[in-house]
Amino acid sequence: MSQKLSNRRITSGLHSAWNTMRQPLIATILGLLVGAVVILACGKNPLSVYAEMFDKSFLKSYYLFSTLTRATPIILCAMATAIAWRAGYINIGVEGQMIIGAFAATVSALFIPGSPILIAIISFIIGMVAGALYALLPAVLTWKFRVSMVICTLMLDYVASYITSYFVTYPLKDVSGDGLALQTAQLDPGMWLPRLTPKNTLHFGFIIAILVVVFMVFITKKTVFGYESKMSGFNPSFARYGGTKQVKVMMITMALSGAIASLAGTVEIFGLKYRYADSMFTSTSYAWTGLMAALIANLNPVGMFFVSIFLAGLQIGGSAIQRSLGIPLEISTIIQCCITLFVSVKLVFNFIKKRKAKSTAAEKGGEKA
Amino acid sequence: MNWEYIASIVNSTLRMTTPILLAALGSAICSKVGVFNIALEAQMLIATFFSIVVNYFTRNVYLSVLAGIFSGALIGYIVAVLQVKYRAADMVIGTSMNLLVSGATSFLLYLIFGLRGKLVDSSLVSLPKINLPLIRDIPFLGRMLENLTIIDYLAYVIAILMFIYLYKTVSGFRTLSVGINKEASESLGTKALRIQMSVVTLSGALCGLGGVVLSMGQVTMFTENMTSGRGFIAMAAASLGVSHPLLTIVSSLFFGLCQSIGSALQNVIKSQLTMTLPYIATILALMLSGWRSLKSKNGRSI
Repeated sequence: MSQKLSNRRITSGLHSAWNTMRQPLIATILGLLVGAVVILACGKNPLSVYAEMFDKSFLKSYYLFSTLTRATPIILCAMATAIAWRAGYINIGVEGQMIIGAFAATVSALFIPGSPILIAIISFIIGMVAGALYALLPAVLTWKFRVSMVICTLMLDYVASYITSYFVTYPLKDVSGDGLALQTAQLDPGMWLPRLTPKNTLHFGFIIAILVVVFMVFITKKTVFGYESKMSGFNPSFARYGGTKQVKVMMITMALSGAIASLAGTVEIFGLKYRYADSMFTSTSYAWTGLMAALIANLNPVGMFFVSIFLAGLQIGGSAIQRSLGIPLEISTIIQCCITLFVSVKLVFNFIKKRKAKSTAAEKGGEKA
Repeated sequence: MNWEYIASIVNSTLRMTTPILLAALGSAICSKVGVFNIALEAQMLIATFFSIVVNYFTRNVYLSVLAGIFSGALIGYIVAVLQVKYRAADMVIGTSMNLLVSGATSFLLYLIFGLRGKLVDSSLVSLPKINLPLIRDIPFLGRMLENLTIIDYLAYVIAILMFIYLYKTVSGFRTLSVGINKEASESLGTKALRIQMSVVTLSGALCGLGGVVLSMGQVTMFTENMTSGRGFIAMAAASLGVSHPLLTIVSSLFFGLCQSIGSALQNVIKSQLTMTLPYIATILALMLSGWRSLKSKNGRSI
């Protein structure tokens, strides 16, 4: 009896997993098809190009580790985006929060004296506070002045990027080397995050990213806050009737979003680059890739984790084929955006289906529906 | 502070305003029909690219301008199909279109020209500069209007025409009715869907024209992501001007002024800091308009 029940539970679990996976999978295939057409237009064979991309992103261990290293900040950015979006707050300022947080962490690590490990921990916290504050600014403005959060967070991206650019160009510029690069001095090696394998670049930040994914699953599934923020995203007026304190939810959500965004940048610096360099986060567009991952996975934490790794692989593979085949690496951006577009159109088909179902139900059920 | 200096700031304000004004008009007309279009950036960027590509191969100003307008309109049409016809979420379509165009232009730049970053060529033709014969000789005014292109003037004409169309014609009223209440206007026989789609396509064309000014006006070149958030500043300008064509002129001039002051101060303050001015001004302006509307409505929490 219980055997049967658990069997049924497994099949229903598989069924719902398939339902959530179906849309992203179909969209991915369509996105890759568009990519194939673009590759054909470049006069190359799509199959061999894709094979090469796959080989140099997932199959060879060196590239697999590069993919996971690149995925680390993307996963965190996806989480930062998702936590705000699912509550209905369209934070597209993850890039700015990441820049400010990581920059604050780097500056603290460079200038606070003390034992390296302790300072590293303090710097991480300072970075997260800075990121959270930078995310709270648009939240407060939205609350007090009802500005558009979309525009406000995006404008703050540019402000963050220019201000840090000023600091690394003038007061905090590293003059120890040839002095050409716009970057801060290097962090003390004692603060560096440990590598997970001796030969590759994958660092402890990946573990932090996994912990944040677990944290996300926990708060979305198990806490009152997760429920309240989801309700406020679904239907703000309904949530208000249910007694959800909108302002509190908005502030906590945005602060968490900014703190996670700051982690994304901080692990990249403490685990990989060991210094803040001008436009290190804008040129790599981690935040935007994370946003795409969040959209493709429909804000599902575990889904975002895998989609982020997939997109990171696409980028690592893309830069490999640029070197070997002369196809510009933006091919990965094109594929990635097409996948997102197809996911959103797919959602629309579902929406239409649901509406049809609703209207037929309405015909049958009369007033009740 | 002398008159010459003020005149040159006015002159650069006028030049900086044009792309923002055109895109802001595109944004305004979209909000008038109830569509939240955030792909303005994409619509502008594609035009900066294709106008320069056509310019490079034909050396013909008119063809380049047309290429810009059409490529912008094409993106606008795609947005219209996905967002209006198939009702996909505006944020998703907007952000992915913006990123897609940014990736695609860099991709094509490398593929066609083998270049990264930017395309500059001495043989590229820029938009013809107009120096009005009589005004040119008046000291202050002449300097103010020096070397403007025809599109710099055209932008204001378009704004006025848009005002006349929307508020003084029957067909304009129909268009407005779609934004006020789609179902009600449909019940009166208005083809709401078609109007919304053509308006979004038109906004693409307007942004395209704005993109052309950017790449062929003051400078004649294409650089990757050269719109650098102007599409979003234009959205702010439109919302500050409550989506009214004539008020949008005023708000766009404000953002143009911020940009020109930013570049004028570069000798005094480091350029990285002055570059933040338009973005900070955008936030302050949104706060101002939000505060104003809060005061007038009073109540209605978030």
